[in-house]
Amino acid sequence: MKLAPADYLILAIYFGFVLGIGWRLRKSVGSSGDFLTSGRSVPVWITSLAFLAANLGAQEVIGMSASGAKYGIMTAHFYWIGAVPAMLFVGIFMMPFYYGSRARSVPEYLKLRFDEKTRGLNAITFAVMTVFSSGISMYALGLLLQLVLGWSFTASVLLSAAIVLVYTFLGGLTSAIYNEVLQFFLIVLGFSPLAIMAVLKAGGWSGIQSRLPPVMTHSWQYMSSASQNPMGVDVFGMVAGLAFVLSFGYWCTDFLVVQRAMAADSMSAARRTPLIAAFPKMMMPFIVIVPGIAALALAKMSVGYALPLKAGGGYDYDQAFTTLMAQFYPSGMLGVGLTALMASFMSGMAGNVTAFNTVWTYDIYQSYIRKGAPDAHYLKVGRITTIVGTGLSIATAYVAQHYNNIMDILQLVFGFVNAPLFATFLLGMFWRRATGHGAFTGLLTGTGMAALTHGLTVAEYKGGWIAPLHQFPSTMAQNFYIAIFAWTSCFLVTILVSLLTTPRPPEQLQGLVYGLTNVPHDAGVKWYLKPASVAVLVIAVLLALNIWFR
Amino acid sequence: MLDLRTSTGWFFSLLGVILLGLGVFSPGLRASLTAVNVNLYCGMGMLAFGVVMLLIARKRS
Repeated sequence: MKLAPADYLILAIYFGFVLGIGWRLRKSVGSSGDFLTSGRSVPVWITSLAFLAANLGAQEVIGMSASGAKYGIMTAHFYWIGAVPAMLFVGIFMMPFYYGSRARSVPEYLKLRFDEKTRGLNAITFAVMTVFSSGISMYALGLLLQLVLGWSFTASVLLSAAIVLVYTFLGGLTSAIYNEVLQFFLIVLGFSPLAIMAVLKAGGWSGIQSRLPPVMTHSWQYMSSASQNPMGVDVFGMVAGLAFVLSFGYWCTDFLVVQRAMAADSMSAARRTPLIAAFPKMMMPFIVIVPGIAALALAKMSVGYALPLKAGGGYDYDQAFTTLMAQFYPSGMLGVGLTALMASFMSGMAGNVTAFNTVWTYDIYQSYIRKGAPDAHYLKVGRITTIVGTGLSIATAYVAQHYNNIMDILQLVFGFVNAPLFATFLLGMFWRRATGHGAFTGLLTGTGMAALTHGLTVAEYKGGWIAPLHQFPSTMAQNFYIAIFAWTSCFLVTILVSLLTTPRPPEQLQGLVYGLTNVPHDAGVKWYLKPASVAVLVIAVLLALNIWFR
Repeated sequence: MLDLRTSTGWFFSLLGVILLGLGVFSPGLRASLTAVNVNLYCGMGMLAFGVVMLLIARKRS
C-alpha cells in the first residue's frame, strides 16, 4: 500500500483538529476535578459516543475483523449477547450507585461501599491493566503501519502517542472525550463504505453464504456442542462465560468506560449514556466483523483478492481488514481509512490514559502517598501522570510483541482481573450484608481461581503450567471457563466470609446499596426517554438481529 | 465552552471537499477491486454529514 500526498494531507488535517480541540479546551481545566472527571458537565450525546469509542481501539477493529474471517458471524456474540445486555444492566441498575454515591472513580466506590484494602487492590490491578491494554493497542498499531505502509514501528508509535499525550495533557478528560466523539464519527464514516463495497463485491450476504461453510454465517445454529464450530465454544460457555461474566465484568465495572458515563451532567444523563451507546454498539459488527467474513469469501472467489498467508502457513487473519482497504480505497479515501484506523487507536489509548490518570491520582497518590494537599497539587500530579502513563504504555508495547492473537490475550487478562470483580459489585450493590473482608477475600480467591484454572487446563498449547488436567478445544473456550470459575468462587467466598464478619450499619450505606438508595424514577421525563423504554427498544432490535443471523 | 458539533462539522466538510475534489478532478483514481469512483461518493457523504452538523450547531446556538 502506498500513500499519495492527498492521504498525508488528510492525516495532517485530522492531527490538526484533535490538537486544536485540546488547545481550545485547555481553559476549561481549573481544578483536578475538571482535569480528571470533566467536572460532571458533559452533554449526554457526547458521553454516549465516547462511552463507545473509548473501547473501540485499533485492536478492536483489527481483532474483530480477524475473528470475523476466522470464526464467522459467531464473533458478533461479543456484541449481541456480550456487550449490549451488559450496557443495559449498567445503565439501568448500576449507574444510580456509581453516580449517586459521588465517588470519583470505580475504586473509590469500592472504598465507600467496602473498605480501603478492597479499593487498593482494585485500583492497583486496574492501573496495571490499563497500561497493559494501552501498550497492546499501541503495539497493534505500530505493527500494522510497519506491515502495511513500511513505516518505522518506533516512529509511528511515538508520533501517535505524542499526539494523544498533548491533547490529554491540555484538556484532560474533557479533551479525551470530545476527541473520542470525533474519532467515533471518523471510524463509522471511514469504515462503512469498505464494509458495503466488500459485501457487494462478494455477491451480497447471500453470495457470502453460498461461498462459505454454513457455520460461518450462522451465530447460534452450530453452538450445541463445541466441536461443531471453529470457535470451539458451547452455548453454556458462551452465555455464562462471555456474556454474563466477561462482558458484564468489563462494561459494568471497568472504569475506562464507566468514567465516561460518570462525566455526564446529570443522573438521568449518566443512566442514559450506556443505553444510547447500545444502539451504535449493536451495529458495530456490520462495520468490523462483516468485512472480515466478506474478505474470506472474496479470497475464495477469483476476483484478484487473496488473504495474505502467515510465515508458517495458514491465513494471516489480522491482515484481512487492511488488505481490503488497500484494494477498495483509492488515494484520498485510503487516507481517510488509514486516519480512521489511527483514530481508533487514539480513542482506545486516550481512554486508557485518562482512566489511569484518575485512578492513579485519586485512588493511589491521594490515598496512600500524599493526603490532604491543596487541589492545585493534585492537578499537577494528574498532568504528570499523563506523561508517565503514556511512557509506561510505550514500554508495554514492546512487551506485547511476544503475543500474536491480541483479542485472546486481552480476554485472558480480563478473565484474571475483571471476572471476579463483577461478583463483588453485584453483591456490593444488591446485598447490604456484604462486608469489606468478604469482598477482599472473594476478589483474591477469584483471581487465584482464574490463575489456577489456567494452570490446570490446556488449549492450543496455552496454560497447563501446573498440570494439564483438561483439554479445551480453543483458548477462547478456556478463557470463558476461567471466567466462570473465577466469578463463581469470588461470589461464594464473598458470601461466606461476609456472613462470618460484622456488617456495616445501614446508615453508612446510604446511596451505596440497593434498598438504601433513592433510585430516581425520572418523574416528568417523557416516557420514551426513560431508561426502561430505551432498554425495551434496544432489546427488541437485539432479538431481531439474533434471530436474523441465527 | 467549545461546541463539538461545530468542530465535527468543519472537519467532515473539509474532508468531504477534498474527496469530492479528487473525485471530480482525478476520476482516474481507482482501487484494484472496484470500478466505482469511491472518492466522489464518499466525499458527497462526508460533506453532507459535515454540513448537517454545522446546521444543527447553528440552529441550537
